[in-house]
Amino acid sequence: MRRRPELWSYLAFALVAGAGFWWAGRSREPRPVHGRTVITWYSVITPLRDHYEAQAKAFERAHPDIEVRILWVPDSEYNVRLKTLAAARQLPDIFLSGDVWISYLLPLTMDVTAYVRRDAAEFGLDDFFPQIRTAMQHEGRYYIMPEYMNLSLLYYNRRMFAEAGLPEPAGRWTWSDLVANGKQLTHAGTNGRPDVWGCSRVENWWGEWLIYVRQAGGKVFTEDGRRCLLGSPEAIAGLRFYEEKSSRHHFSAPAGFEPRNGFVNERVAMIVGGHVNYWLNYNQMPGLDWDVQLLPAGPHSRRGGELAMAGYSIARTCRHPEEAWALMKFLTRPEAVAEIVARGSLAVRQSVAAANIRGPRRHERPRNLGAAYAQFEFGEPIPRHPHFIEIMLQIVQPEIDRMVLGQLTPEEAGRRAEAAANAFLATFDPADS
Amino acid sequence: MRAGRAKHVWFWAFVGPAVAGLLCFSVWPMLYSLWLSFCHYEVVAPPRFIGLRNYVYLFRHDAAFWPSVRVTLVFTAIQVPLSILASLALALLLHQPVRARGWWRAVYFLPSILPQAALAVVFGYIFQADGGLLNRVLGLAGFAGQAWSSSPTWALVVLIVMSLWGFGYPMVIFLAGLQNVPRELYEAAHIDGAGAWARFRHVTLPLISPVLFFNVVMGVIAALKVFDIAYAFGMAQGQPIPGGPARATLFYGLNLYQQAFGYFHMGLASAMAWLLFGFILLLTAVNFRLSRRWVHYAD
Repeated sequence: MRRRPELWSYLAFALVAGAGFWWAGRSREPRPVHGRTVITWYSVITPLRDHYEAQAKAFERAHPDIEVRILWVPDSEYNVRLKTLAAARQLPDIFLSGDVWISYLLPLTMDVTAYVRRDAAEFGLDDFFPQIRTAMQHEGRYYIMPEYMNLSLLYYNRRMFAEAGLPEPAGRWTWSDLVANGKQLTHAGTNGRPDVWGCSRVENWWGEWLIYVRQAGGKVFTEDGRRCLLGSPEAIAGLRFYEEKSSRHHFSAPAGFEPRNGFVNERVAMIVGGHVNYWLNYNQMPGLDWDVQLLPAGPHSRRGGELAMAGYSIARTCRHPEEAWALMKFLTRPEAVAEIVARGSLAVRQSVAAANIRGPRRHERPRNLGAAYAQFEFGEPIPRHPHFIEIMLQIVQPEIDRMVLGQLTPEEAGRRAEAAANAFLATFDPADS
Repeated sequence: MRAGRAKHVWFWAFVGPAVAGLLCFSVWPMLYSLWLSFCHYEVVAPPRFIGLRNYVYLFRHDAAFWPSVRVTLVFTAIQVPLSILASLALALLLHQPVRARGWWRAVYFLPSILPQAALAVVFGYIFQADGGLLNRVLGLAGFAGQAWSSSPTWALVVLIVMSLWGFGYPMVIFLAGLQNVPRELYEAAHIDGAGAWARFRHVTLPLISPVLFFNVVMGVIAALKVFDIAYAFGMAQGQPIPGGPARATLFYGLNLYQQAFGYFHMGLASAMAWLLFGFILLLTAVNFRLSRRWVHYAD
């Protein structure tokens, strides 16, 4: 009897603590309407948000038994959050994927080969470009439904070429043409130093230098992905061209001096590589007269520009794969792809690309869409390696940074990058991931 | 007996939740991370025991580990003394009997409450190579500007300057210490003919030495763990992964974060966390040992 007050105090405390934990941990998500299946869709915050929200609503109208919940995430946090959700076993049903990411997202991703084969005729598998059909797969199995793609291209400012009295870039350009024209487009400002540059130089990531490495005949990895090859003479030749754009030919700004948004502000006449995601921004600048052309060819080949595809995958833990698959098909149907392309992008479907080239088009630029799609032939996907992004950004890029800053020669940078990447690969074998 | 037991019950009723929280959210994760430091763990698959391989990789093969150690130690060696000197100097100034002293104290403390992200954007503009404020001013004076934030030589200096903006917290602690120095001691020293420097050297400094010691210990620990300022600076510079250029601002904490949450090498990141913990523990112990020589406590 005497213990009763103590007991009550313990019980009361336990009750309050339990209620607190329940309240803190309860789901904030609204309950689904009875009989409807909820599909969660994980998406980055993008200028196309209104398009995706409209797509979700249209899908719900077409499938009254399915409710779509879009979870918006900032671009910079997307992969971190996705993996955190995987660790917490709370993966969304479908998420953004692509051939760049699939290697390390593979453990989270459902093999949809059976669905693709079953519905190939219905969603038009053959309508996707053959390179895109390859990019949808990993070791012969399908994992991604594609929505749009990026191809590295030569971007140029038509007005700046006209004012310099230069003909616009031709499809047969080589590196020498890039150098010769870039030099003529570089102008000094009032202080005597260059203020307008012939060509940008993409720093901090592989966007540009990898093109030159591949066009010079170099490779990042061996076929099995177990050795890095950036120390090869071919790769070093590519790195040297990237470095000499500024140090020898002086038509790109020295490291750190690249004008911010230089292409949009018309202080940079050309970009090698670029990204279709910027088309939307370029087209919002009324005075910016820009166009695209095939990448200049390197000493070994014209091939080497990036060919990257983005789309959707279903989580391996998805409890409603049939409904998630229906949503993926809906998001990648010709009408949806055409809307994204109309806003400024490249089509993954041949039918949409053909209609886009024929016109009419919502945006006048780029005019030379034919060249953009012709670049397809010379585009190469980045290596399918689970640690590609990490090796390139964390291990290789600092050596490239030191090279453009003049602290290392291209030979030293290539060899140091190769040695450091191989040390990493010896510890983090791709087979472990 | 009954009263004693009741006390015991109430003690645990109030302390219990805190202890449970400490065990669940601090002690257990720490012990688990110690276990993970001996595992290959990339979140999507269960941890796999690999012995000391993470530690061996860090010491012998990781291209980023030693540069991040070097950056952090250089930063600590320069930033902590500068920060202590700046905050002590300001505290001495703000301790003077001037008009609107409280207002001045608030004004000097204000920069410390600025979010690091905002600070990084502002300083990013000041130190920008193309059209940045500093280079414009230098250009007007006829000097060539530098790529301050893109140069491995200058980027760390920029971050040290940025971090000094947070002098407000040690300054407030110094002010509290200065207010506890008995006025009679200054009067006695003055009568004995001591000048301003002698009074500072022989009265102020010994009497605020516990506060100085506290600021040094906390400053060193904070500098060794620095993360937010480097991360915000890297993002403001548009680096895909902060820490550049050429790892010039790759602090240990930033490297650890990237290993853990950028690449999900949780085993490797746990090993890094335990190495940092051990180093901070060792350095703090050395600090305490050395403090016996120069810190004077009233009792």
